[in-house]
Amino acid sequence: MDTSIGSEYNELREEVRAFLTANEDVAVPAGPGFGGDASQVRARTLEWQKRLFDAGYAGRTIPQRYGGAGHEPDALASLVIEEEFQSAGISLGMESQGTGMFVPTLLHFGREDQKQELIRPTMRGELIWCQGYSEPGSGSDLASLRTSAVLDGDEYVINGQKIWTSGAREADMMFALIRTEADAGKHGGISYIVLSMDTPGIDIRPLMTMTGDASFNEVFFSDVRVPATNVVGRPGQGWEVGTYTLRYERNMLGRSNATENYFDGCVDILRETGLIESPVYRDRLLRLEGRVQAMKYHQLRLLTDMLKKRDSGAGGLIVKLNNCQLNYDICALAIDGMAERGVLKRGSKHVRDYGNWQRNYMYALGLIIGGGTAQIQKNIIGERGLGLPREPKPAAA
Amino acid sequence: MDFGLTQPQELLRDSIARFLAQDVGIERVRRVMDSESGRDEAIHGQLGDQGITGLLIDMDLGGSELGMQEAAIAAQEIGRAAAPVNFHSAYVLAPLMLAGADAGDRKNALLEGIAEGSSLITPILDAPIDDGRIDGTVLYVPDAAWSDAFLLETGGSLYLLDSSISGIDITPLETVDDTRRVAEVTFAGLDLGAAESLGGSAENTRRAVQAAQIALAADALGAAQKGLHISVEYAKERKQFERIIGSFQAVKHICAEVLAEVDPVQSLLWHTADAWDGGSDEIDHLAPLLKAHATDVASNAVTMTTQVFGGMGFTHECDMHIFYKRAGYDRQMLGNPTALREQAAAVMYG
Repeated sequence: MDTSIGSEYNELREEVRAFLTANEDVAVPAGPGFGGDASQVRARTLEWQKRLFDAGYAGRTIPQRYGGAGHEPDALASLVIEEEFQSAGISLGMESQGTGMFVPTLLHFGREDQKQELIRPTMRGELIWCQGYSEPGSGSDLASLRTSAVLDGDEYVINGQKIWTSGAREADMMFALIRTEADAGKHGGISYIVLSMDTPGIDIRPLMTMTGDASFNEVFFSDVRVPATNVVGRPGQGWEVGTYTLRYERNMLGRSNATENYFDGCVDILRETGLIESPVYRDRLLRLEGRVQAMKYHQLRLLTDMLKKRDSGAGGLIVKLNNCQLNYDICALAIDGMAERGVLKRGSKHVRDYGNWQRNYMYALGLIIGGGTAQIQKNIIGERGLGLPREPKPAAA
Repeated sequence: MDFGLTQPQELLRDSIARFLAQDVGIERVRRVMDSESGRDEAIHGQLGDQGITGLLIDMDLGGSELGMQEAAIAAQEIGRAAAPVNFHSAYVLAPLMLAGADAGDRKNALLEGIAEGSSLITPILDAPIDDGRIDGTVLYVPDAAWSDAFLLETGGSLYLLDSSISGIDITPLETVDDTRRVAEVTFAGLDLGAAESLGGSAENTRRAVQAAQIALAADALGAAQKGLHISVEYAKERKQFERIIGSFQAVKHICAEVLAEVDPVQSLLWHTADAWDGGSDEIDHLAPLLKAHATDVASNAVTMTTQVFGGMGFTHECDMHIFYKRAGYDRQMLGNPTALREQAAAVMYG
């Protein structure tokens, strides 16, 4: 067992520390302690994202010709960066649909001109993306989607509806899965199309979520015309392109360093309230700590697999399921630790940590459902991880 | 960065697993379970031949001078096989406590005997020693009915007592896990002079107990993994309503949830064993936290996977109950999850 990182990374570590010190004024705190006025939060998040990308900490391996730092993929360098950011309690930038999902997909499937045009502004937070996947009739069974695009000259004409579209009103762009070939089978007729959100014919209606944020939306398409060149990959390749992105979403939703920040915040609350002395609360806290520690070292095991180019098998499939539930349970204990104060929400007098605990408690439930529900994750773990058979298709009526 | 087992450790794991599969199969385990005494006399010598008894003993005494990582590997495979041996007591706690004894021929001979698999020494922590006498009853002593000697510990000091001398009364206790047995041991006011004083220290005892806790956690993890494995295999074969039952989400999700809980415990075990080997301060918190978490996860795993078998899961014929009971024993011995969480909390949070 060797958990050391090697002295060749000392220089990088120093560099990260110097960067964090030099940028203290803008650095966005990770964990429950950051909040306040929404537009200020947003402005600072975007500014921080710019600095991170320009300094090569966000999108570190993106080639220089697309504005990135062009570093070789190096999981240990990433670990050093993560460790330093975590110990400073600073966010590693936006884990958004644009930076976390669209850019990796575009790098893999996109045309050169698409990469030139879209990667840099996306990574700097100048182009904000939303994801057009789910539809009212297509949730867990995503491939049954029906929003369609018909070729008319050199344009696609899109009609249909997307739902659960996070951040659609703030977004400049959408990447969407759209049925372009009606007769090519369930998975075969889908294309991955990018479009500007100000294209005529797009109507966005906010959906209020349980957190009180209108972060979800319905997006309606009525004869929306986009250039045929807006397809990423080949027409009809959309299922492959779109599910490649989902793999990134699963990773994004399963990161454990935020979990440790929240766990530490929960300990702080129990200390402040004196409940850390209560055997009942201690027992609950230590139950969580066992899970937090197990997932922390599980991540090191997955990292080692990656370095050795070894398949982690079921080990990789369980991360989203476990960490989303763990984040939820940590928030639950923190709120119980606040007792009646736990009923307050953002903006209220007396609220602790800007209401982040209450918001994240509910948001974590959204993440248990989103990005492939916990139940779908269990199907995937059972089938791909344990080799259990799929559910047979129901006989045709 | 190379988190996990080294290649030699993987080879060790595979060779122990192979030996156990060939020589300590489930039929042999069942014979021992069904026997009155619960004793498998041959297993100690066999484990000695395989080098499994001497993993933590110095090379010049016939051991292989490896560490807790290797001992945890052995414990996990032994749990997976439900092998009839109190590995945590005889081959982790005993040799590590003895290693802290005063140097001398006696200590060396004892460790040589353990490494060979020819002597079975059972530690008794917090032994009833007072005012120069050994007087009192100790409960739940592993292997007591066939131990060659007891290694009595009080306040870190060690005393070796031959188990065959008069004035020791041993009553086997009926236990749920038939693969490992415990007994009540009564010392009838023996003169402490009947025992051999071996020195020792409280610090060494503390570390030895932490190592034994890691071994019990590893045993429980192995049992839970085996329980999951056999239930998944069953779910791939058994048909009801003209379907393989593993295709029902109700069954599939049980297996997936158990895997999701059990799999990360492996990493926590590796890390904890590594912290023990490295002499890290973290161990005072990690060892109890690991044992609490691992045995809790194991209890839930065997509870859920037993249900995959339906009615068969409740029978004596199905092997599932062997792993179910195994996890229950590992859970209670040397501190159960609730007690150990309090212990870990005291270290971390005062």
